[in-house]
Amino acid sequence: MRAVMHMDLDTFFVSCERLMDRRLIGKPVMIGGTSDRGVVAACSYEARKYGVHSAMPMRMAKQLCPDAIILRGNSGVYSKFSNMVTDIIKEEVPLYEKTSVDEFYADLTGMDRFYGCHKFASELRQRIIKETMLPISFGLSQNKTVSKIATGEAKPNNEIEVSKGTEKTFLAPLSVKKIPMVGDKTYRTLCDLGVKRIKTIQEMPIEVMEKVFGKNGIMIWKKANGIDNSPVIPYQERKSISTERTFDKDTIDTVKLEGILTAIAENLVYQLRRGNKLTACITVKIRYSDFQTYTLQKRIPYSASDNTIIPLVMELYRKLYQRRMLVRLIGVRFSHLVEGGHQINLFDDSNTIKLYQAMDHIRERYGDRSIMRASGMGAKSISRWNPFNGEPPPLLANRRR
Amino acid sequence: MNFIVSSSTLRKGLQQIGGVLNASNSLPILDNFLFELSGQDLTISASDIENTMRTKVVVDEGKEDGKVAVPAKLLMDILKNFADQPLSFSIDTGNFGIEISSDYGKYKLVGQNAGDFPKGQELENANEITISGDIIVNAIDKCLFATGNDDLRPVMSGVFFEFSEDKLNFVATDAHKLVKYTRTDGVANKSADFILPKKPLNLLKQNITSEDSISINYNDTTVRFSFNEIELTSRLIDGKYPNYEAVIPVENPNVLTVDRISFLNSLKRVSIFSNKTTHQVRLKVAGSELSISAEDLDFSNEAKERLTCNYVGDDIEIGFNSKFLLEMLNHLTCNEVILEMSEPNKAGILLPVDKENDSEKILMLVMPVMIR
Repeated sequence: MRAVMHMDLDTFFVSCERLMDRRLIGKPVMIGGTSDRGVVAACSYEARKYGVHSAMPMRMAKQLCPDAIILRGNSGVYSKFSNMVTDIIKEEVPLYEKTSVDEFYADLTGMDRFYGCHKFASELRQRIIKETMLPISFGLSQNKTVSKIATGEAKPNNEIEVSKGTEKTFLAPLSVKKIPMVGDKTYRTLCDLGVKRIKTIQEMPIEVMEKVFGKNGIMIWKKANGIDNSPVIPYQERKSISTERTFDKDTIDTVKLEGILTAIAENLVYQLRRGNKLTACITVKIRYSDFQTYTLQKRIPYSASDNTIIPLVMELYRKLYQRRMLVRLIGVRFSHLVEGGHQINLFDDSNTIKLYQAMDHIRERYGDRSIMRASGMGAKSISRWNPFNGEPPPLLANRRR
Repeated sequence: MNFIVSSSTLRKGLQQIGGVLNASNSLPILDNFLFELSGQDLTISASDIENTMRTKVVVDEGKEDGKVAVPAKLLMDILKNFADQPLSFSIDTGNFGIEISSDYGKYKLVGQNAGDFPKGQELENANEITISGDIIVNAIDKCLFATGNDDLRPVMSGVFFEFSEDKLNFVATDAHKLVKYTRTDGVANKSADFILPKKPLNLLKQNITSEDSISINYNDTTVRFSFNEIELTSRLIDGKYPNYEAVIPVENPNVLTVDRISFLNSLKRVSIFSNKTTHQVRLKVAGSELSISAEDLDFSNEAKERLTCNYVGDDIEIGFNSKFLLEMLNHLTCNEVILEMSEPNKAGILLPVDKENDSEKILMLVMPVMIR
């Protein structure tokens, strides 16, 4: 029998802020982008009472809860707190998976033989609360899905164990929205079918779900019945890296667009080199103001060099940017990553190679943004994290979850 | 048009030139061999427009000169299934009906009008040079593997022939590796150069033996190799070959001398543990020890070997694509090799120490990969 524990730090960002400033305790707090396009990344339970929830546009949140204290947030600080929690879990549990800054799975299979899973999990939670002062909730069951849903039910700052055989009855009265795969769209479709409670899905034949949702339907049905065999994966190799930017105001300023793309590409290529990776596929993405999103990709020979990749990104962008319309978002993605160093070309200028090596050296010492192309200087908030250390990407406060 | 020919003689002739034929052709006529009978001599041609190859077969008995295009695949397939025996061909030049009689029976097929067959490229204002087959055989063997595959840079997809009054150079590069093969025992009366594509190189490789004497006629667009009874006419790659001399570093203070076979075998073993896509290995030389290592982080595979070597220079750590190194070491025949290096981000040059032939010079260059 398996035993999987799911842990989630309650209102993580808010908790972190409260540790740093006790005055925030007991007040409605919202963290997120403060610009017009900003969304709520996290909010305290006091703010939730007003109907605010994460991923809601900040504008709307302000209207719902005008008294809330709004903070921009600081992903560096949150990562630090998150790492403190990770260190404790790493010490206690041999097999764990960190799925985001504030979420963990731990495989406790076999622990019941001599200690008791629930006892162990409770003590782990108490240790985390004691040592980091951060509230955390967990769910414990046979698999990841049920544990995750249980954590959601346990919150705030509590724990639930769903023992073997009771999964279906535990899930039955809950809303279908609680199933991890069900987002807004699926939820709406389910509502149209008259399905509101998980119980209804449990009673439906699997074929009906397959007919409506295809393969995903089968997955949803299985999850609704508490069936999930996915393993706890300790380290996930990144399959791609990407960066995208949404503008405060939609733009057709091509100089600005190209500058941002250059900055994004330059930064991503540096991340590749720092992680000793090469890419073989470049994708450029544009979202126009009407939310129509277009992407264009190109296979290339394995590379991680500025002077091959940046011109290609530009070429793709020029091919892709066809509509005479305001642009809302642009982004770049590198996929088909492999381990390896850049193969130097015989006809490359050896001074160029030296220049890039020197630039990388400077970045390693003084940070990603210590040196860059002048054309990319306009783009200020290109991410600064290392994508290849096995950690999930930290969420910037202004980014949609 | 009638003739009697030994099936094995004909088969040998067709196999020599059959390599020219493409698996699929835009022009149906190119799926044929052109047969031209003149007295006892049967000239057979195959073409893919770019390359035309011609060979001569002596028939046992020939009546009525003439020409016809014969479906290549059908003919090759049936010839493969005959024991050696005389075959009699009788061809109606009016409706291109071909009838073959063997000891076993009769086979009929329909040919095409020989007039539709593309005429070989004309060779005007040609220069001529005659060299021994040994030079061509070796040059192709040493260079061919280093040619590129990039459609965007067609000049690099062939071998560069550079003739001068004191030596012959053969160069191939794909921008990551480069081979320069020089012979001083063959000379041209006038400096000239051309780039020969891969396909004719392979055709030459299949058909030339070291003993042949080869006459090469060439102008700016076309080249013709004639040897034995075979004649290969090919269109050259149009364009300027990159200035390869400029990229071969001259000053390489770090010189490593190592046994070729040991180096090759070590690399073979270590590279098994390298990343399956990038094949990268790391060479580290300190004192008289060469250590070769590789790792594949995705699977936690790792290998490291040590070799004794002779080394003059500063300690160095340099990364290479092991595939390139292996190919190069495999194409050398000497006992010991020299690897000359200057910096971790500059080319490594591989040279043979002992030579079988005093008039040949081989230089192989490989670009490193950046390592951390």
